[in-house]
Amino acid sequence: MLYILRRVAFYLAAFFVAVTLNFFIPRIMPGDPSARIIASFQGRLNEAQIEAIRASYGTTGSMWEQYLGYVGQVLRMDFGISTVQFPEPTSSLLFYGATWTLVLVGIAITFAFLIGTMMGIHAAWNRGGFFDSVFTPINVMLNAFTPAVVALLLFYAFSLQLQWFPLGRAHSTGLSPSLSFEFIGNVLYHATLPVLSILIVSFGGWHLGMRNVMINLLNEDFVILARAKGLSDRRVRYRYVARNAILPQITSLALSVGFLLGGALVTEQVFNYPGLGKFTVTAIESRDYSFIQAQLLLLTMSVLVANFLSDIANVVLDPRLRKG
Amino acid sequence: MADITQTASSSLLDRLDDAALASAAPTHIELMRELRIKQKPGWTSRLSPSVAAFVTNKKGMAGVIILLAMILFSILAPMFSEYNPHRRAGKPHVAPSYEHVLGTTRMGKDVYTQVAYGGRISLAVGFGAGIAAAAIGLAIGISAGYFGGRVDDILTFFVNVVLVLPGLPLIIVIASLVDSAGPLVIGIVLALTGWGWPARTIRTQTLSLRTREFVLSAELMGEKKWRIIFKEIFPNMLSFFMGGLVLGTISAILAEAALSFIGLGDPNAVTWGTMLYWAQNNMALQTGAWWEIWPPAVAIMLTGAALVMINFAVDEITNPQLKASRGIRRIKRFLRRRGRSADVF
Amino acid sequence: MSSDRALLEVRNLTVDYVGEHSIARAVNGIDFDIREGEAFGLAGESGCGKSTVAFALARLTRLPGLVSGGEVRLNGENVLKFDKARLKAYRWNEVSFVFQSAMNALNPVIPVAEQITDVIETHNPSLGADGARARAEELFELVGIPPSRLDDFSHQFSGGMRQRICIAIALALNPRLIIMDEPTTALDVVVQRDIIEQIVDLKAKLGFSVLFITHDLGLMIEFCDRIGIMYSGELVEVAPSEAILTNALHPYTRALGNSFPPLTGPRLRMEGIPGSPPDLRSLPQGCRFAPRCPHAMDICRVENPELRLYPEHRSQAACHLLN
Repeated sequence: MLYILRRVAFYLAAFFVAVTLNFFIPRIMPGDPSARIIASFQGRLNEAQIEAIRASYGTTGSMWEQYLGYVGQVLRMDFGISTVQFPEPTSSLLFYGATWTLVLVGIAITFAFLIGTMMGIHAAWNRGGFFDSVFTPINVMLNAFTPAVVALLLFYAFSLQLQWFPLGRAHSTGLSPSLSFEFIGNVLYHATLPVLSILIVSFGGWHLGMRNVMINLLNEDFVILARAKGLSDRRVRYRYVARNAILPQITSLALSVGFLLGGALVTEQVFNYPGLGKFTVTAIESRDYSFIQAQLLLLTMSVLVANFLSDIANVVLDPRLRKG
Repeated sequence: MADITQTASSSLLDRLDDAALASAAPTHIELMRELRIKQKPGWTSRLSPSVAAFVTNKKGMAGVIILLAMILFSILAPMFSEYNPHRRAGKPHVAPSYEHVLGTTRMGKDVYTQVAYGGRISLAVGFGAGIAAAAIGLAIGISAGYFGGRVDDILTFFVNVVLVLPGLPLIIVIASLVDSAGPLVIGIVLALTGWGWPARTIRTQTLSLRTREFVLSAELMGEKKWRIIFKEIFPNMLSFFMGGLVLGTISAILAEAALSFIGLGDPNAVTWGTMLYWAQNNMALQTGAWWEIWPPAVAIMLTGAALVMINFAVDEITNPQLKASRGIRRIKRFLRRRGRSADVF
Repeated sequence: MSSDRALLEVRNLTVDYVGEHSIARAVNGIDFDIREGEAFGLAGESGCGKSTVAFALARLTRLPGLVSGGEVRLNGENVLKFDKARLKAYRWNEVSFVFQSAMNALNPVIPVAEQITDVIETHNPSLGADGARARAEELFELVGIPPSRLDDFSHQFSGGMRQRICIAIALALNPRLIIMDEPTTALDVVVQRDIIEQIVDLKAKLGFSVLFITHDLGLMIEFCDRIGIMYSGELVEVAPSEAILTNALHPYTRALGNSFPPLTGPRLRMEGIPGSPPDLRSLPQGCRFAPRCPHAMDICRVENPELRLYPEHRSQAACHLLN
């Protein structure tokens, strides 16, 4: 329990660091941030929009008062008014995009983790064999391929040339969201290629991680003892080695969430998928700062939540942490 | 008891029948021959053990050669090209030909010149950010691990914060506030957000080194702390520093490409990332101009693959267990010939 | 209490460590028997190959180790040639193992009970889950731990208790031989005593043989019937344990005995012998102890002596001085 409380305290602190960074970064740039932003629109804003920008940068009062005001806004999930989709509040756009990104990254991360981990177990168990010598390097190299290229290739081959998959969107325009098989099937159909392109560049990491941790564990006395006991290969592999090797994998799974959300940015752009990344790119092009800032906070929050979940999973799976 | 240093006149396999072979022990030389183990190449004897392990590691050296080729190509090739990467050099979307080895972009710029020239910037950003991130990680990791106590608590807090802050979104916030995020800005931000992993690894390693005898005895002899850090701890961290550097460089090159690809970079700069950005904007694939998109893509993939291979070698040196030696197969064959199953590995 | 019938016959056992560019011969053609009901000890400096022998007997040699030659015979069958099915039956039914560090010998994330019952269920499926559980409770009582603690995890036990659990696991199938690789080295002296006394009791009750490996020559002499002294991968002397201190034949055994402070001092100190063992990757000609031996003769540097029986001493030794 103490362990979980300590972690929660850390997550709160980390979130405040992100909020503080978000507050100070625009303000350490030379000049008045709202004036700079307004100027960058070169007169394409109306009075109400200018007012909204001024309000979200709250340039009145001392720095400390401004900071407190900003923290208050963040805690109320009030990220101001979008200058692009004026007068939509930024938060509604943000949560709409986040839902679809969650679909993509959620499916991709689950499959990447399962596939990579299973391959890693196999490679470690038969290390030096054909599978290990060929697929371990290849899978890890896929990790170093740029998501942009993989996404473009899949898009070109399967959407443009073969036309097996749609050219964009999260679901067909005629369908309205519901919990029907038809709608969910349609969503999965639209998500296939984007998920695949995230999957391809990420499962190699799980493969290598699991392989290396497993190989180190093979030297542990308890694994040698399990073999000496004459237990079946399967039982030693899964119950005595993989069971322990999965613990650090879960921790790095949580830490990788931020990286994968960043990767979704490029994928959504290529597949014209209405997720957070797509909106962020639009926001960058139109200099919608309140959105850009809000996406950082939202993504930080998701990473922290993922870490919290992994802490809980670790406590459930590792009796040593339940001590205190 | 046979003296194992004596030379075998004929192969053990020829001399003995199956039953005798099963229990006879081969001499040292016979075993070396049967498992095809070669002595360490003589020229590596003057190198330090870890350097020698690296230069004899095939994956690592293949990576180094590819990487050196990429670096030399990006340094030398623009010198031999008559075209300017920033200027129009021919008609738009010319297919690869004698004049334009890799064709031209939709703007009529020479792709070959752009890939070579863009490599300078992409590699410089990647290595610059990778080296800087590894160096920050090294300094913070060693300080946290060595000094411990309050210093460790504070530094570890920051390491953990950097680890959970999502890098790319943070860079987007910073990059979108400066007028145009040139390669230098992107490199600096990548360095400032990428030191979490190396710091964490190096801190753990320093902690375990801290209680080792040679460090303790240096302390008892009254050595100054900074001398202990540089003379006793730093040399042992080199391979972890290298690992951090390689991984940092990969992620910086990929991040630069991703940022430029989504249009955050300076569109006038020529990097592999901006080349992909323009190729995507110009519908290169849709119009069949594959030569606009493949060269920068292959350049990024080759560099990434080379760095991954180097990282494999570094991993195998810091943890020899990971080296899945080809010897395993020969040992299995050795046992099979003697009617024994190769069960425990 | 031991008979003269050999349980396990080790003949010309040779184990190599295969490196990338070199091979180190860790065990060089050794011969010895472990008799039924006997406690046989292997002693020597660290790196002399005694644990390597123990692992080879249990068919646990792992890369980079390779049993490159010799035989380990159990009732005339060669253990090294067992196929998968026979090996499974050999393991734990006939030979079980107690490791040096009980800390690492138990999986930290699996309840202790499962680590006992799984071996019982694997080898006696007819017993069923309840039968295995009942046997596990019996075993806990046998080593003096309340069976109510079966569902705890290893970190909830003290070091001594953990080693008792490991002994309980080793006894699970009533094996004929238990290999104990430094079973008490990681424990403090008082606990060490308790554990050894318990092993002596159990051995008297159940009649298994023990291959006992330790640095602690005093403990070994007290516990074992016969002792083999290893140097640099070879057996240099095999003698009844009472003869090791009083009537040692090999100069190395004598040096070990001298460097062992009688009565006080729990651990054997090796500083008493000047020099260090040879590099196993490139061994000198002749006797391996010759460079450190105070009595070395010319022949010692040319010819490696063989282990011979000296019936008048009831000991075997490998030394030219004796001829």
